[in-house]
Amino acid sequence: MRWLLYWVREAWVNLRTNRATTIVAMVTTAFTFACVGIFVLSYVNLRNAAMWLQDDIKIIVYLDDDLSMEDMQTLRERLASDQVVADLRYISKEEALSEFRAQFPHDSHLLEGLGENPLPASFVITPAPGHRSPEAVDRWADQVRAMTGVAKIDYNQEWLDALFELVRYLELTAIGGGVILSAAAVTIIGNTIRLAFFARREEVAILQLVGATRSFIRLPYVLEGAVLGGGGGGLALGILKIGFEVFRHQIGSAGRFQGAEEMVSFFPPSIAAAFVVAGVGLGVVSSMISLRRFGERQA
Amino acid sequence: MIRVSKSYDRRAALTDVTLEITKGEFVLLMGASGSGKSTLLRLLIGEERPDQGQIFVYGKNVSRLTRDEVPYLRRKIGIVFQDFRLLPHKTVFENVSLPLVVQWASLADIRRKVTEALRAVGIEHKKDQIPKNLSAGEQQRVCIARAIVNGPVVLLADEPTGNLDPERTVEIIELFKLINERGTTVMVATHDPHVRTLVNRRVMTLRQGVVVAGTEESGA
Repeated sequence: MRWLLYWVREAWVNLRTNRATTIVAMVTTAFTFACVGIFVLSYVNLRNAAMWLQDDIKIIVYLDDDLSMEDMQTLRERLASDQVVADLRYISKEEALSEFRAQFPHDSHLLEGLGENPLPASFVITPAPGHRSPEAVDRWADQVRAMTGVAKIDYNQEWLDALFELVRYLELTAIGGGVILSAAAVTIIGNTIRLAFFARREEVAILQLVGATRSFIRLPYVLEGAVLGGGGGGLALGILKIGFEVFRHQIGSAGRFQGAEEMVSFFPPSIAAAFVVAGVGLGVVSSMISLRRFGERQA
Repeated sequence: MIRVSKSYDRRAALTDVTLEITKGEFVLLMGASGSGKSTLLRLLIGEERPDQGQIFVYGKNVSRLTRDEVPYLRRKIGIVFQDFRLLPHKTVFENVSLPLVVQWASLADIRRKVTEALRAVGIEHKKDQIPKNLSAGEQQRVCIARAIVNGPVVLLADEPTGNLDPERTVEIIELFKLINERGTTVMVATHDPHVRTLVNRRVMTLRQGVVVAGTEESGA
């Protein structure tokens, strides 16, 4: 316990002695982490949205106009007994027309001129939870398409696929950006540690002469790196939270996206904690690299 | 030390030096600036490695120690410098306690041993001062207290009186004699002939890295 207190005290002395450098390093690291955080936050939210949309997917099976009531019942029973189907709702031609009129009151006159109701009857199917992936839906849709009485299947998979594609790109960008910006953070923290070590080189020399081991000399600097990294990570979370709340307020007050502010969310506590832990880890790694390269002769 | 040679950038600092110092001896290492005195001391504490030859301190072959073993050798050796090398932001007590702190000695041990060492060098009353508030002579006493606090088997001093007036020089040399009388082997490197007159012990003289006189007793 005493050794821990000693190292914490020495690290604190280092941080206080090089106050300006420490603050600059922590703020720069925080902004670097915040840049990574923006990607991660966008990724998390878009991924949530895509998952939510995928979970909410509805498959619409349009029926042939000339399908008899008996055949429709047979098809309904066949689909309802399928394990893929969690819920099935029949929409008759008349219901489809009244829904269209309700949704598009100004365009309903377009159908008037056609005389007969052109809208087909359909089944609106909600897939069971284990069968909502794009691949499972595609596979099932192919089977249903081949059934007698089915005219067409629609499930908006194309734009959902596009959204998933976007999420994948964002994931790659977050990883790539994260690696590059983490390298920048490592350099910033490493240089700060190097400066602190250089400033106390005479003390290091004295410690060596009185028999201090390398780990005894280096550990306060490793702790200092951990504080810089963890502090940078924590500060980055603060910056992101403020930015996120401003963004949410903006989209809430902009009429077009009203309601969208309820759909976006900040990092859950586990990811927020991981952010700070990653900062601590990067800080430790940077100080160790820095001490290895610069301090090899000194300590 | 057996046939030790050391050079820097092809310039010989020590050439074929052989010497033996027995336990409890007091040796004066004389020589002008650049004669190789400091190099010899650096070799003894494992700060440098010889190009040739072997160095044994207290039975340990210093020239073969790994970097991780060197700190443990230095815990057996006390070192005194001309420029004192005290930590300016730490008190006298904290400076003297450093060799014990790096070994994680208990707080009670640190308190007892530091108090004894400060008493031995006569500056116990200055324990809460910081070095810049002390005179040069007092700072050198702090440096000596730090060197002996650990009960070293060997005490090495590199120009310990270089920054002191003649009166303080006498006091410091007397202190070394006292430490030596308690059983610690002492080696003082100096270029100051005045020190030689104060020490009636074995003198070794180095000239351009070569031992030119090694067994004489000084004459004061």
